[in-house]
Amino acid sequence: MALRGLGWLAVLALVAGVGAAFGYAPREAVQGNVQRIMYLHVPAVLTAYLAFALVFLGSIGYLLTRRPGWDRLALAAAEPGVIFTGITIASGSIWGKPTWGTWWTWDARLTSTAVLFLVYVGYLLLRGMIDEPDRRARAAAVVGILGTANIPIVHFSVKWWRALHQPATILGPEPSPIAAPIMLTLIVNWLAFTLLLLYLVAKRTEISRLEEQHAG
Amino acid sequence: MPDNWSYVFAAYGLAGVVLLAYWRRLAGRAKSLGARGVRRGV
Repeated sequence: MALRGLGWLAVLALVAGVGAAFGYAPREAVQGNVQRIMYLHVPAVLTAYLAFALVFLGSIGYLLTRRPGWDRLALAAAEPGVIFTGITIASGSIWGKPTWGTWWTWDARLTSTAVLFLVYVGYLLLRGMIDEPDRRARAAAVVGILGTANIPIVHFSVKWWRALHQPATILGPEPSPIAAPIMLTLIVNWLAFTLLLLYLVAKRTEISRLEEQHAG
Repeated sequence: MPDNWSYVFAAYGLAGVVLLAYWRRLAGRAKSLGARGVRRGV
């Protein structure tokens, strides 16, 4: 019942987020309306970071305690993490075509995000390749912990290398130069995506628990 | 700069389809596991 409530809360927040992106946020002066893709792109990557942080937490928890609940959490967060990273890459690419004139470039931010995506796709494939639960959970935990090291590389890539991608404007060291309505719309969408992530993680955890009950 | 609405709708549409497909997959799996649990008395 609580899970269903969380799901509906996420739906309402997503409706509010899309409403704000198209009805409240102003047309951006330089880029025009294509900038509205940022209300999808930026919250998606922040949510992916959060999902992979949960994978890290679940992986550490499993290696320390060997409790299957931690492994369930890691798996439950990895799947939506991959999906949100995929949405980040796809939406960025769609924005890039009219703005940069290309769907893709081997820029440091884009490349490191693609590597992040592939690492966690590999994490999910690895889980599918090992049948024995404890061995599977241990191997996945190692990849889940090592994979997290890529997150700071993605985030700071625009500072460490000369990149086409713009530097951080939200999680950067200086106060954000973003106008208030644009920032508010980003925050509403980020909250909506976070609620959706929490719902998806809870739902996937419940499924894993049921699968283990049936298998056992 | 032109508005490029088609790109905007493509990005939101793609994200919506992907998220909906994942949710449907989870809901279907939960439903089938729940039905098997009822049959087995779990």
